[in-house]
Amino acid sequence: MAGPSALYQRRRMGNAVLLVFSLGATVFGLFWLAAILGTLLYNGFEAVSLEMFVQTTPPPGSAGGLANAIVGSLIMTFVGVVIGAPIGLLAGTFLAEYGHYSRISPIVRFINDVLLSAPSIIVGLFVYQVMVIHMGHFSAIAGAVALAIIVIPVVVRTTEDMLNLVPNALREAAAALGTPKWKVVVMVSYRAAIQGLVTGVLLAIARISGETAPLLFTALNNQFWSLNMDAPMANLPVVIFQFALSPYEDWQRLAWGGALLITFAILGLNIGARALASWGGTKSGA
Amino acid sequence: MVDSAATQSTGFVPMRTTTSSAAPSALSAAAEGEQVKVQIKDLNFYYDKFHALKTINLSLYDRKVTAFVGPSGCGKSTLLRILNRMYQLYPKQRAVGEILVDGANILAPNQDLNLLRAKIGMVFQKPTPFPMSIYDNIAFGIRLYERLPKAEMDERIESALQRAALWTEVKDKLRQSGLGLSGGQQQRLCIARAIAVKPTILLLDEPCSALDPISTQKIEELITELKTDYTIAIVTHNMQQAARSSDYTAFMYLGELIEFNQTPVIFTRPEKKQTEDYVTGRFG
Amino acid sequence: MADLALTRKLPGERQNLADAAFKLATWFFAVFVLVLLGAVIVALIDGSVEALRRFGPGFVLSEDWNPVKQTFGARAPMVGTLITSAIAMLVGIPISFGIAVFLTQLCPTWARRPLGVGIELLAGIPSIIYGIWGLFVFAPFMQSHIEPFLIDTLGKLPGIGPLFAGPPLGIGMLTAGIILGIMVLPFISSIMRDVFDTVPPMLKESAYGLGCTTWEVMWNVVLPFTRVGVIGGIMLGLGRALGETMAVTFVIGNAHRLSTSLLAPGTTISAALANEFTEAVEDIYQSSLVALGLILFVITLIVLSAAKYMLIRLQSRAGT
Repeated sequence: MAGPSALYQRRRMGNAVLLVFSLGATVFGLFWLAAILGTLLYNGFEAVSLEMFVQTTPPPGSAGGLANAIVGSLIMTFVGVVIGAPIGLLAGTFLAEYGHYSRISPIVRFINDVLLSAPSIIVGLFVYQVMVIHMGHFSAIAGAVALAIIVIPVVVRTTEDMLNLVPNALREAAAALGTPKWKVVVMVSYRAAIQGLVTGVLLAIARISGETAPLLFTALNNQFWSLNMDAPMANLPVVIFQFALSPYEDWQRLAWGGALLITFAILGLNIGARALASWGGTKSGA
Repeated sequence: MVDSAATQSTGFVPMRTTTSSAAPSALSAAAEGEQVKVQIKDLNFYYDKFHALKTINLSLYDRKVTAFVGPSGCGKSTLLRILNRMYQLYPKQRAVGEILVDGANILAPNQDLNLLRAKIGMVFQKPTPFPMSIYDNIAFGIRLYERLPKAEMDERIESALQRAALWTEVKDKLRQSGLGLSGGQQQRLCIARAIAVKPTILLLDEPCSALDPISTQKIEELITELKTDYTIAIVTHNMQQAARSSDYTAFMYLGELIEFNQTPVIFTRPEKKQTEDYVTGRFG
Repeated sequence: MADLALTRKLPGERQNLADAAFKLATWFFAVFVLVLLGAVIVALIDGSVEALRRFGPGFVLSEDWNPVKQTFGARAPMVGTLITSAIAMLVGIPISFGIAVFLTQLCPTWARRPLGVGIELLAGIPSIIYGIWGLFVFAPFMQSHIEPFLIDTLGKLPGIGPLFAGPPLGIGMLTAGIILGIMVLPFISSIMRDVFDTVPPMLKESAYGLGCTTWEVMWNVVLPFTRVGVIGGIMLGLGRALGETMAVTFVIGNAHRLSTSLLAPGTTISAALANEFTEAVEDIYQSSLVALGLILFVITLIVLSAAKYMLIRLQSRAGT
């Protein structure tokens, strides 16, 4: 019968097209990943040297490094996490341990997820409006606060998810011994979920390490070596931004070096966080 | 082991009572000289609007094992969990009535819940070791209320583990995680944890249902030993277990206490037809 | 029970105080999240009041952008934002769908995890890296290979021809849009993968059992079942694309000008902010930029709220 056979052929063709397309799509995605990483390695490799880690950012036309930017990024990331992670942890704890029947819980969850995906440049703008204008100058602390605001929703989300995975039976067992609620949370729930909680913080760190926009209007940049939280501070993303768009070759080379550094640090954190999460998963199975 | 004579209804003429749903008198069920440890008076329990337990009147006798049996949904676990007010972890659940433990009503609003639960221990269906070492698992409960020097703490832990028949198996690995033990061992760890804080009453909610027969047997032996020091209430859906291990049995159905008596009586000469049907396996 | 009332080593009251304090702390910071959002909105409105008062609702429609004459209008950046995001969706949605189909239906199990992680790593690359890569590698590539091709083919067609007119600069809206599309691939595809996995196997098996091909199962069974979640995922990707700054800033060309050609330079709200904010000295200039930020925030708020709403609906339907 010619009829069904022709229809069937068409269907098979359509299916084959889909299969080829989806394979092609995956290859497409992975290709760009490889292209970007490859470009980074190619261009950034020559810039990576001891000088890059030791010398500070140079004026155009001379040699130098990224030391002050690296240290500045480390400091602001650290302070941002120190401010943002505890806030996120406690808010997430509320959602998972206390707020199951509270009316504000769904609202907090919703708003938190909105904040999670909000444009980071708006965060920078916000901190500019409330901190930089009032302080009268750019500062590293303002930059750290902007980063903290980005950290908070990430940690809230992962904390709530990880705490919800702790079986209720464990909490009941602790309560049955006469444990007061806060101890049940801190000494049992947190302990049971510790791997996931740490993973969440690592992911937050990875997220803010590469953020440029929030720092543009808060910490700005600093050509020189400075550890003063009350003044603008050098940081890798803004330095890369400035140097890459400049016409100077030295600066452009340093920009690639810095880009390589950031990217592999972040990918390392991401992969490390995943490894921690899956190692934890197999361990706690009773 | 249910008396097979009861299953052939030949020669067995049960006395059918036509009383209303008013609960049977628990006092007359006692053997000579038994003291009441826990007295449940006119207890009603609600999950939101659902009337889950209806006018329960029941006594638990000092240092005896009382089994709560009945088909799924009869309210036996619900009843057990009222005894240490576990239901208060969740909203929209409330208990009305009185439960007197050594004469004091534990349902009173001014009763401190944490202190209550320290005195009434509970072991759950699935073993729930905390994510800590075996030592810390047991020390956890003790540390809540007592500050002991190390030597005394070590001693308490050892005696709890001995009592739970677990000491010889874990004495060399006290610092290892509790999660590394087998299911039966974990459950005995939970029992050790519960008795380490020196409660007077132990509530066991189907403690063997997740365990293999050998672990089950060990735990049943344990229960028989423990009752020399503790008043025990055990929920079980395994009637043979109830018949083996308990001194008193309460049969419940759809939130009501149908019959309560000494265990041999329940299994050989139950008063109500429903009880007889259940223990002989005709339903449930 | 007499000794229930006895206080022991740690009296109940101290514990109750600690309990109340801890609970209050967690509640406080949960509410803090809400306050934060409110504060952002208030701060943005406060900063843009001057511009909005000066230019009125015409601000949104005006194409002016003159720091010298101090007249500003949001039209060019807004349109730029919408167009680049639209291109990003056109590129990103079908490819994400393809990736999701491959990883959930076709990929051999051993490869699933590594390939999945590979795609996720695209999300880990910071946007500034996309930016410099775009500027130094992708844009020249577009300029020498793709754009001339487009101009010669699609540019000659009636109707859509003007979209592909103009000199091949490499930078411009099309390039920015494509890079954005690549950036949102991991987000959309990962949500699609998650929702595809929620389809009950029996449902798919009954379709396969009738002799359906993979494509037919996806199109007729899986997609309709997961429709709401897929749309939620798409909108999440859209929200990301709308707000993306660094990737776009490098390759958009920064021209406050509307033009019909996609190959022309333009600007987006976030690119304008990134490029001009630190140089905006006059109050009205700054206020106009903050007003742009407010507009962007409102747009992303709407898109993200809609996305979240849809994903919640899917979850409640699936019973999770």
